[in-house]
Amino acid sequence: MSDIIAALSIPVIRHAFLGMLIAGGTLSLLGVVIVSLHLTAIRFTLMHIGLLGAAAGMSLGFAPGPGAFTLVLVASVVMGVTGKRFSISASSVMGLFMTGSLAAAFLLLAIAGVPAMDVFGVFAGNILLMTRLDLIFVAVLGAAVITVFAVAYREIELVLLDEELARALGVPVDLVTAGLFVLVGAGVAAALRLVGALLVDAIILLPGIAALRFARGFGSALLLSALFGLIACVGGFFGALVFDLPIGASAAAASTLVLALSVLLSRLKN
Amino acid sequence: MTPGSPEAVIALSGVHAGYGSTRVLHDFSLTVHRGELVGVVGPNGSGKTTLLKVLLGLVEPTGGRVEILGRTISGGRETGRRTRRMNGSLRRRLARRERARVRRTIGYLPQLQAPPALPITVDEAVLLGRWGRYSWLRRPDSEDRRIAAECVEMVGMAELARRDLKTLSGGQRQRTSLARALARRPEMLLMDEPTTYLDKSAKADLMVRIIDLHELLGITTIMVTHEEVPGRDFDRVLRMEEGYLL
Repeated sequence: MSDIIAALSIPVIRHAFLGMLIAGGTLSLLGVVIVSLHLTAIRFTLMHIGLLGAAAGMSLGFAPGPGAFTLVLVASVVMGVTGKRFSISASSVMGLFMTGSLAAAFLLLAIAGVPAMDVFGVFAGNILLMTRLDLIFVAVLGAAVITVFAVAYREIELVLLDEELARALGVPVDLVTAGLFVLVGAGVAAALRLVGALLVDAIILLPGIAALRFARGFGSALLLSALFGLIACVGGFFGALVFDLPIGASAAAASTLVLALSVLLSRLKN
Repeated sequence: MTPGSPEAVIALSGVHAGYGSTRVLHDFSLTVHRGELVGVVGPNGSGKTTLLKVLLGLVEPTGGRVEILGRTISGGRETGRRTRRMNGSLRRRLARRERARVRRTIGYLPQLQAPPALPITVDEAVLLGRWGRYSWLRRPDSEDRRIAAECVEMVGMAELARRDLKTLSGGQRQRTSLARALARRPEMLLMDEPTTYLDKSAKADLMVRIIDLHELLGITTIMVTHEEVPGRDFDRVLRMEEGYLL
């Protein structure tokens, strides 16, 4: 116990802990949106865009992480807006971005003469490289997620339930959907920094999927998602400290365990 | 009775509407009076859903005039000096406001949807029909909940009020949707193929409930469907084909 307290007094570890705590309790709410709006392909798309960002960053002489982070954030805003303006489906937008970003990434790498393997570091992530600025971003994003869900709770519920009905009732569906899209993208960008592209699902998607197995309504889905997210992130963090494991992988393992247990328990319940 | 007179709840005259370059409704005129139950029957692609979208203000007509409950939501003639001076964006903003006001008076029953991925109980789903009375900054209060519970009872779903929609049959989900439409305390009900995808007994049950509730509440109702409706229970049954009223 004293070892853990001592570890938390180190700024890098403390930043990592706070990052996981905030992300687990807030970004996990976005999983409910991703599942309900059938946006599960989004993290795959954003992963490819992260690769392009990393390639662009390295071509300009920077580290791959910030490039990936910035481009994923920009792409989510563009996706949210273009999906509405051109009236094309989210899956078409995702397909367009996925193929385009991969092509651009490999072209950039070839032109700049950057070894392709160096870019793939963005997939693993490293939470211990998290800066104070990164932490502030995660905290602001977490606050934004909570605020949006608190202010537009019923509107989001209606859109997730039935877009056509929401439109007929007068809910500004395009605005709500675009806003959710941007939040999901920003969440993925933050999770990318925390656990790397390959483990984004651990923070964002898996707690939401587990929550929807037990929830009786939108409110309980959000609360359970936050709870499962916290268990996965905080449990994974302390597990990593105790067993000397990588934090991202440990959180992803904890998240997978939470989902596996939820599947088992819901099967037993039914 | 002339279109636009107080007794006419809906008055469409010479309406043209569609999507992009595809025109779906052609020179469409229709007047519906307060308390009428009107069936609009036609094959798929005849423009029935577009008609409802025009009434809901979701599709902007390219021509003609749409008046609902005495409010012009599209194609109003600018007569006064003030309105003539209005620029296009102000006129559009006013029309948008009128459409939003009208929408608050409409209950909408869509065709049967697939069960939602999101868990939601019957009473909560019905409460969502009150949206517009409450919104971003005003949450549903006890009055909203009382009205929602009353509507759940009205469609015979009280015993299933705490059940998740996913666990219900198609007929029960449509009865929930009907309760949600009624929860708005609407002056007008619009129903888009409400019995499609239901089995024979659920179709008959829903139709009887709609007719009984219309008799009880007297809400002006338009039901569009590609199936035949019991003509004797409707005030009028109109036929549509290729965007024209026959």
